[in-house]
Amino acid sequence: MAEVVLNEVVKTYGDIYAVNHVSLTVADGEFVALVGPSGCGKTTTLSLIAGLNEISGGEIHIGGRLVNDLDPKDRDIAMVFQNYALYPNKTVFKNLAFPLQMRKLAKAEIERKVLSAAKVLDITHLLERKPRELSGGQQQRVALGRALVRDPRVFLMDEPLSNLDAKLRVQMRTELKRFHQDLEATVVYVTHDQLEAVTMADKMAVMHGGFLQQYDSPKNVFDNPVNMFVASFVGSPAMSLVPLEAVSHGSDVALRSPEGWELPLSPQNARKALGATSNQVVLGARHSTVKLHSAQTPGAVPGVVYTVEPTGDITFVQVFLGTSVVIVSLDPSVTVHPDQKVWIEFDQDKIHLFDGATELALAAV
Amino acid sequence: MTIDVAHQGGAVPAPSLRRRPNLLRRIVRHWNDYAYIAPAIVVMLLVIGYPIYYTVELSFFKTPPNLAMSQKVFVGFDNYRAILTSQSFRDVTYNTLIWTVVSTFFAYVLGLGAALALNREFLGRGVLRAVLLVPYVISAVAASYVWKWLYHSDFGVIGALSVQFGFTDEPINFLDNIYTALPSLIVVNIWKEFSFAMIMLLAGLQTVPDQLLRAAQVDGANTWQRFWHVTMPHLKGVSMVTILLLVVTNLNSFIIPWIMTGGGPAGATDIWITQIYQMAFGRIRFGMASAYSVILFIVMMALGYFYVKALTRGDEAKSE
Amino acid sequence: MSTPIRNTAAMTATTTSPAPTRRRSKKPIGGWRWAGRGILAFLLLFTALPMVWMVITSLKTQLAALQYPPQWWPNEVTFENYVQLLSPNNAVGHEFLQYFWNSFYVSILSTILGVVIAVPAAYAFSRFRFPGRQALFFSVLLRNMFPAVVFLMPLFLMMKWLGLVNTHGSLILTYLTFGLPLSIWLLKGFYDNIPIQLEQAARIDGATRFQAFFHIVMPLSSPGIIATAIYAFIMAWNEYVYALTFLNSKDKLTLPVGLQRFFSEYATNWPGLMAASFIMSVPVVVLFLVLQKYFVRALTEGAVKS
Ligand SMILES: Nc1ncnc2c1ncn2[C@@H]1O[C@H](COP(=O)(O)OP(=O)(O)OP(=O)(O)O)[C@@H](O)[C@H]1O
Ligand SMILES: [Mg+2]
Repeated sequence: MAEVVLNEVVKTYGDIYAVNHVSLTVADGEFVALVGPSGCGKTTTLSLIAGLNEISGGEIHIGGRLVNDLDPKDRDIAMVFQNYALYPNKTVFKNLAFPLQMRKLAKAEIERKVLSAAKVLDITHLLERKPRELSGGQQQRVALGRALVRDPRVFLMDEPLSNLDAKLRVQMRTELKRFHQDLEATVVYVTHDQLEAVTMADKMAVMHGGFLQQYDSPKNVFDNPVNMFVASFVGSPAMSLVPLEAVSHGSDVALRSPEGWELPLSPQNARKALGATSNQVVLGARHSTVKLHSAQTPGAVPGVVYTVEPTGDITFVQVFLGTSVVIVSLDPSVTVHPDQKVWIEFDQDKIHLFDGATELALAAV
Repeated sequence: MTIDVAHQGGAVPAPSLRRRPNLLRRIVRHWNDYAYIAPAIVVMLLVIGYPIYYTVELSFFKTPPNLAMSQKVFVGFDNYRAILTSQSFRDVTYNTLIWTVVSTFFAYVLGLGAALALNREFLGRGVLRAVLLVPYVISAVAASYVWKWLYHSDFGVIGALSVQFGFTDEPINFLDNIYTALPSLIVVNIWKEFSFAMIMLLAGLQTVPDQLLRAAQVDGANTWQRFWHVTMPHLKGVSMVTILLLVVTNLNSFIIPWIMTGGGPAGATDIWITQIYQMAFGRIRFGMASAYSVILFIVMMALGYFYVKALTRGDEAKSE
Repeated sequence: MSTPIRNTAAMTATTTSPAPTRRRSKKPIGGWRWAGRGILAFLLLFTALPMVWMVITSLKTQLAALQYPPQWWPNEVTFENYVQLLSPNNAVGHEFLQYFWNSFYVSILSTILGVVIAVPAAYAFSRFRFPGRQALFFSVLLRNMFPAVVFLMPLFLMMKWLGLVNTHGSLILTYLTFGLPLSIWLLKGFYDNIPIQLEQAARIDGATRFQAFFHIVMPLSSPGIIATAIYAFIMAWNEYVYALTFLNSKDKLTLPVGLQRFFSEYATNWPGLMAASFIMSVPVVVLFLVLQKYFVRALTEGAVKS
């Protein structure tokens, strides 16, 4: 197993920066999830680590060795592709055997390893089949098996579960997690399903437009998003963001809406708001930290219910605060109805404040 | 473990790390890729590029009959002038046009008929298709001798049959008569190539969506209307390519007239290619023949333009 | 046999193959269907009768062939003509077998070389983006357009200069370019349909670029390779003009030129000529019948897009 270090990595396609000065370190045995919206450069980053694409700038180290100019075959990595990329003209057995054959292992050795990998993955009965005779879940296992057979130093996985149905995906998620724990493998796992990332990963790397936005434990990313993009991308439903204007009344600071209401800030938050580059401040709040009142309450601001979405154990309510939407979660026993006038109370300890101009999180000075 | 945080928002402009590499740099960077096509390019240059260049060059020279090219004499456009003003050029061009247009027309029409008739499941369909394709596959030399024998003035089976059925009183001398020679050769040509049109159009018919035909049927279109308004539009592209290829093949035909009549009688079956060959290797006038080739070549280039266009329609959208 | 025009690349599972057969209109529409049958019957006779007559003639003695009215069926069936052509002991047979072998040798070699050159080129055209790629590709395709005779004189002079006149090398070099444009075009279509991830997976699995190509991509494109090979072989086997011009010594001739020679030497031996034509057609027809779907694919690929 090995550590993977990316240092100022750049990949350009013509004028497009697919990966833009990305630096991150994946510690030995760590499971890192690479998340971000479609086209943000996740697959490209993975291909650069794998050596499938020529790097345009920066350095990649695997296990302490600079691998920039190394062929994929010499990097000792395994990769699971989004569409599995099983060799269609080879049986499952031969698919699994191929990486070993390429490494010139003895025939008996190959057979032993393939059989043991097949046993672990519970695909022994499929060994003589061709990939097209397998279900999606089975193909996924074979693809995983092909990565497993040769104990690589690093596993790269590109959305390996995205082709599976919801139920199978949850099941495979658990299995993948267990594999990681058993093998203590270094894994870089691409997904645009952040639930996958949160449940499986030790660390999360959030990408957007080729840039690495934040790299931290899922909990920290969730609790302390560094900018508005991360705040709105991580968490489901997304964090509500309300653009407001900071105004000071003597030593007190409040956030004023275009509609005229004002939200007084706690001293801690006031200091943050004053650190903004302008008076444009964006208030962020997760649904669970917001309270809903049906009557005017001190410190609460007025809004109108837009939709009510019961999901079973929680009901999500979208409330219009002026032109911004705030999502609130309620116990299903509470009844609200659309167009109802409500008051929203933010938890001063749990709100996030962002600089409206730079979109960065405002930190206490 | 340190936490690397990049504080770039989406709005930060991309720092310009490197300029767009210029053409030379790109070529150098891709030299490895060129290695894959190098053998093909070398062979094509040798066997196509160089000959084209050399033909054009020779067309401006008078070449000696012993082919010692060091003794060739520059004559400017004389060769072209001589060819274009000669009576024989007009006759040969006329023959070439008849040959090409009539052959292409019938090959296409028969091919289309066969394709439509074969585009339905029935017993023996595969066998029939294979049999119809055999003339296309066999050697044109063998085919020419077979037909030469069929047309034989004394013992030919066609002449004998025509007498047998009372069409004529005595066997027709197909290949020695200036009126029947060219049509007789055209029949052979059609025999040889109609199944090419058939196979192309049959493949084209597979692309006609069944749903559309059924929809048209529901809308009350009869067989002819369905053919004309649904099937034919779908065959347009294939037909273009097929007809172009037929035209090119026919303009280039050599074997059938050469073996069967050698251009005779009295030049009745002489077409461009036989004329060029005769000029080059019969009379050893390479310069003149080269000029002739260049004329043919220009016609081909024009057709080639349409060929590539027909072949790549819709391809631009797909690539990059 | 019944559904021959199929997408032979179906095994890559990425190509869309149209429904191979269709059964239209349940109720008989008399007129059109009869017209179709009429056309087919006519074309079958038109196609087959000349070949039938070739075979019948080849079974006659010379004397029987030169009769008027012709013997519709030989009074006395003889295989004498075939025996003569195929027995190495007599002069005619010896010569004929030599032509046959020459044709075979030239066709096989040019086919193999053509494939060896076309495969990497097609692969490059499909996979790489390099400056001039499009232009190169079309120049390769344009080869289809030019008449053999246009190239004949310069090539003849070039072969003379290279000392290749009257060698099989000159023919092999020329023939391998016949199939090349089509092969490249056809194979490019195959490679376009093979997902690049397969190669990437192979390279991560420890294969070099070449091994990935050899072990993974090439087997998937074998239908295309077969198709182009048959096409190239048939083209080479039947080629006449270059053989006529480049070769002059008797022991070097290929079949088409040999046949012509045979005709001028034994001008009235029509049965012998028919038998020779028949024998000459056997290899290509057998090849065509056995590998029909590949050949059809070679012809129609590119022109037909769904
Ligand atoms: N071969 C290429 N040529 C040009 N641009 C490319 C190429 N490959 C990727 N890109 C561009 O690079 C950017 C990043 O692509 P990438 O495939 O890494 O995205 P991704 O994050 O994996 O997206 P997805 O979630 O959709 O898979 C995209 O804007 C894409 O258009
Ligand atoms: Mg991707």
